[in-house]
Amino acid sequence: MRVKSVNKQKASNYFWGYVMSAPSIIGLMILNIIPFFYTIYLSFTESDGLSAPTFVGVENFTRLASDSEVWLSVMNTLYYTVLSVPLGVFLSLLFAVFLNNKIKGVSIYRTIYFLPMVVAPAAIAMVWKWILNSQYGILNFLLSKLGIDNIGWLINSKMIIPSLAMVTIWSTLGYNLILILAGLKNIPETYYEAADIDGANGVRKFFHITIPLVSPMLFFVLITSLMAALKQFDYYYIMLDPSNPAIDKTQTILYLFYEYAFTINEKGYASAIVLLAFVIIMVFTALQFWMQKKWVHYE
Amino acid sequence: MKRLLSLMLVVLMIMALVVGCSNDADQKGEATGKVDTKQDESKEDTKEEAKDPVELTFSIWDNNQKEGMEAVAAAFTEQNPHVTVKVEVTPWNEYWTKLEASAVGNSMPDIFWMHTNEFFKYATNKKLMPIEDDMIDQSKFSQGLVDLFTYEGTLYGVPKDFDTIAIFYNKELFDAAGEAYPDDTWDWDKLVEVAQALTDVENGIYGLGAPYQSQNGFYPFIYQNGGTVITEDGKSGYALPETQEAVQFYFDMIHKYKVSPTLEYFAENGTNDTFTSGKLAMFITGSWKMKSFSQNEIIADKFDVAVLAKGKERASISNGLTFSGANDTEHPEEVRAFLEFAATEEAHIIQGKSGAAIPAYENTQSYWVELFPDYNVNVFVEMLDYSVPFPTTPSKPKWGEVESSTLKAFGTGELAAEDAFPYLAEEMDKILEKE
Repeated sequence: MRVKSVNKQKASNYFWGYVMSAPSIIGLMILNIIPFFYTIYLSFTESDGLSAPTFVGVENFTRLASDSEVWLSVMNTLYYTVLSVPLGVFLSLLFAVFLNNKIKGVSIYRTIYFLPMVVAPAAIAMVWKWILNSQYGILNFLLSKLGIDNIGWLINSKMIIPSLAMVTIWSTLGYNLILILAGLKNIPETYYEAADIDGANGVRKFFHITIPLVSPMLFFVLITSLMAALKQFDYYYIMLDPSNPAIDKTQTILYLFYEYAFTINEKGYASAIVLLAFVIIMVFTALQFWMQKKWVHYE
Repeated sequence: MKRLLSLMLVVLMIMALVVGCSNDADQKGEATGKVDTKQDESKEDTKEEAKDPVELTFSIWDNNQKEGMEAVAAAFTEQNPHVTVKVEVTPWNEYWTKLEASAVGNSMPDIFWMHTNEFFKYATNKKLMPIEDDMIDQSKFSQGLVDLFTYEGTLYGVPKDFDTIAIFYNKELFDAAGEAYPDDTWDWDKLVEVAQALTDVENGIYGLGAPYQSQNGFYPFIYQNGGTVITEDGKSGYALPETQEAVQFYFDMIHKYKVSPTLEYFAENGTNDTFTSGKLAMFITGSWKMKSFSQNEIIADKFDVAVLAKGKERASISNGLTFSGANDTEHPEEVRAFLEFAATEEAHIIQGKSGAAIPAYENTQSYWVELFPDYNVNVFVEMLDYSVPFPTTPSKPKWGEVESSTLKAFGTGELAAEDAFPYLAEEMDKILEKE
């Protein structure tokens, strides 16, 4: 008798648990999971998005393998990631450590660093577009005062990726900083006191106490930054005009996907491209998780 | 127990789905259910007086024309009191993505604008309501415009407006340099000569803008030179020397004659903004810019328009839009009625008076022209006589991409003519063959 009632209780718990989470589960199913599998299906077809897709087997993938434009965009994406992620995470850590000290007006500084996160990416992109304008931008104006010639931040194909990486670092710094700061706050003071008694200097304390203990948070920040960088699209879309001749040489893989899906209207090939992007992100994330055994310490 | 639970969960999910979706259907179908019964009744009694109210959605992409379209809709409602038409504006870049998504989901707006670039995609997939001969009088519209929106012998849209390309010039810069304004005596040589006289690189003033634009860029030059983008037998025109010469001449404005800023400059600063900020003496664009330029305080009293310069022959590019109806609309009768109304002279006069675009119906253009008394806008209408319809084929999205990436590289001087044109012609032919 008793057993049954416990089971009943359990069942009712399960039931209500599922009922409560149903909205999220349904949302995920409709908005993420079903489209994901549909994309896989589309990648084996030729489709203009309106008529019924025709099955073409692995044709899209063989075309992908020999398409230099795709591989160039993969290289661009990796280049952008290498430029923006390590430096971005390092700077966030650096500023977080500074802002963890007891200085006057520390909350004002924290607010200032966090502000870019509050602004919509589209607005950030618009403002930076003006700052980086090679003719009238304030950055080139200031550089000209230093005697540096005009730099085409957003039109020179060598400068576009570094420029956008810079904007990315600037806009994500505050968010990452706040996360790392929360990690730093969790480190008990006693470790530092013990290190002081042992006569460790600031640098040693940083590398032997701070870094290992903040590493879980650092890992989280690294993973999310990496995924965001590999999926870069919005700054390209807003800051570069479609008529920009340098786009073809600097586009990221997601921008290329967008081109094929919505401009050229080859939905099948676009799906194959976006699956390649998915695989690349998977590989990098898996690599990270494998590496974390070596440097991330969970207390 | 667990199995029962999961079953219940599935049922719940399906319920939630159905409820979630039906909300949408309710809004749309509220009238339908009733209309259906009404139709049954009205078969018996055709003199049905009071009809149930119907709301049609009408999707457009140009905010400048919102008022004009609302005026047309209001006039329609006056004649058909039970139908209201709601005008929605979606910016051009998002418009096509949205329309496509709604077409896939069979929830297209009841009425929408259609453009030549995208026409074939929707026509081949039977998404557009066919315009039968009893609905409109085709002879009232220019044949070129009707042909642009005809697929396999059927017209799929009511011609709404047309546009042609002209020279927009900055009078202030001409006066300062003491040059005479462009007129119909100009040929290519004169164009270059004056552009060179007006260029003042020191102060950032350029004589003639040559941005990467096709319709309002090098296309008119191609046809002025006797070339073509698509040949009669459906091949790429870029293999023809006449076409190559014209494109070369257009981009020579940047590199050889040095009268235009670079493509990069335009990509960064925008062609229209470069003109309105007084940096360009002349540039080439379409009649659709008239309204916004004439309302722009900075440039309004400084600019005017003129016919394009003559090459071997005279040519401009004409393009147009249609009012199109959704083939799967829930209110086919009302949509038909609206399209019939949109094809009347009255609707085109209302549209012309709003200044939005040059109305397509014959002899209604003057209403648009009269709105711009300070400008020589008659040239847009005049040029229709020798304008070439905007070159397009069903595979335009694909070859358009090859065209733009190749010619952009040619326009920056990265690709030489002997590499660019054969490659472009070959790639285009491959795509055109598959049609």
